[in-house]
Amino acid sequence: MELVRDVLDKLVVDRHGHAMGRIDAIVLEWRDGAAPLVRSVAIGPVPLAHRLHPRLGYLVGRLERWLELSERRPIQVPFSKVDVKEMRVMVNVTAGETGSNNVELALRAFLRRLTWK
Amino acid sequence: MKRIANVILGVVTSIGGFAEAGSLSTSLQAGAEFGFALLWTIPLAALMLAMLLEMSGRLSALSGRTYAAAVRDRFGAHVQCGMLVVELLLDLLLLTAELGGVAVAVELVTGVAFHWWLVPVAIAAGMLLWLGTFAVIEDGLGLLGLVTLVFAVVAWRLHPAMPQIAAGLLPSKPTHDAASYAFIAVSIVGATVSPYLLNFYASGAVEEEWTERDLWSNRITSFAGIGFGALVSVAALVCAALVLAPQHVKVDSLEQAASVLNPILHSWGVPLFALALGIGCFGAAVEIALNAGYVAAQGFGWTWGANKHRLETARFSVAMTLMLIAGLIVAAFGFNPMRVTLISVGIAVIFMPIVVLPLLVLMNDDRFVKSHRNGPIGNAALALLVILGALLAVVVVPLQVIGGG
Repeated sequence: MELVRDVLDKLVVDRHGHAMGRIDAIVLEWRDGAAPLVRSVAIGPVPLAHRLHPRLGYLVGRLERWLELSERRPIQVPFSKVDVKEMRVMVNVTAGETGSNNVELALRAFLRRLTWK
Repeated sequence: MKRIANVILGVVTSIGGFAEAGSLSTSLQAGAEFGFALLWTIPLAALMLAMLLEMSGRLSALSGRTYAAAVRDRFGAHVQCGMLVVELLLDLLLLTAELGGVAVAVELVTGVAFHWWLVPVAIAAGMLLWLGTFAVIEDGLGLLGLVTLVFAVVAWRLHPAMPQIAAGLLPSKPTHDAASYAFIAVSIVGATVSPYLLNFYASGAVEEEWTERDLWSNRITSFAGIGFGALVSVAALVCAALVLAPQHVKVDSLEQAASVLNPILHSWGVPLFALALGIGCFGAAVEIALNAGYVAAQGFGWTWGANKHRLETARFSVAMTLMLIAGLIVAAFGFNPMRVTLISVGIAVIFMPIVVLPLLVLMNDDRFVKSHRNGPIGNAALALLVILGALLAVVVVPLQVIGGG
């Protein structure tokens, strides 16, 4: 497996096949005198924005906290729970136990209020 | 049998969906200013578009991914985010032009100034976006768009001289105002090869769950649909050449071209022009807003789909709604819709190579297109298109300043 080619930026689904977003970053642990260890994958707008520019990552993080969407985010899934098949990543967790649905659920609630549903 | 019916429906709706603010404005302007001399640009641009659509449809059928999703998968976040910004900017300008086009069409029928119609038009588009399925949006609007064939009927009834049309199909030197000639030629390419169409077409392929078995229907739909659809633009140019050019009408606004059907349709001319313009622009406006939701959702991995309930795809639904609102706000400044159209097609030309270049790589990557990679002809044509696009991008700004009026 090649991390950048096969994992980074790929669509990620939970164990039930529900979309969780894309793998926006890969978290490595640097070890003295040994190869780096792949600890986890990160999902969400903050790691993505941080990759584009650290300042942007900081601003998106602040926005997320201001909108009260930062609970359990950024989402980090241990690499031991990651499975890769045909350029798609499956993680052995459920979307609900992570914060990957925070924005979607907040928007749904907002739209329901707006449409009286 | 069902597949054949789907292909026929795809071709028919492609014809109905071809004409919109950009293609109609540029064709009418070309005919009014240069007679048949710019006719050759329409089949050339249509061929470019058909090729690109065939490739993006093939990519989706084989990989299950749209163009936006494949770009993120293959090139990563930086390229995807850059293309997203470009695409949303283009979508915003095109949407502004299309909303303005619908509002002008209503103005032509009612006599009430177009800016009063922008909000009702946007509300109607929003309702269709929120309540319609993909089939209703794509096929329903495409079938209604067949009213644009009125240009073909009128062009036929005007009895154009076939030798003149045949001569117009070959590139020729302009007899006057070379800068304007070149600008309109580039604008026709920009209006026809709208970058949003690539991802919209690919998204439709994923919505309709195309597979390898649909490759032949993809080829027919893209080439026949766009080929016949381009006849509407050809017909609009012919009508303008035979009706507006002799009267020395310079088409600076859509209202000035409204009388183009009158010699044959008399008092029905303006209402039918308005109906064709209105439906064509309305369909394009809805598709552009929907495409904004598509590119954002697919790039970031959100749940999306015009066939899903809008509350189940909240981020996708909000993205397309925000695009519609943004388009309305820009349109509300009251710019001349035709000026916005010409600026947007100019910008589309500038960014065309950036949008098209990744396709060249993707169509040669067997992880995406398996054994159906581009052949040497397909690659040469696509590379030529990128180079031609880059050259046009370099000249479009000077031409817009010198020849854009």
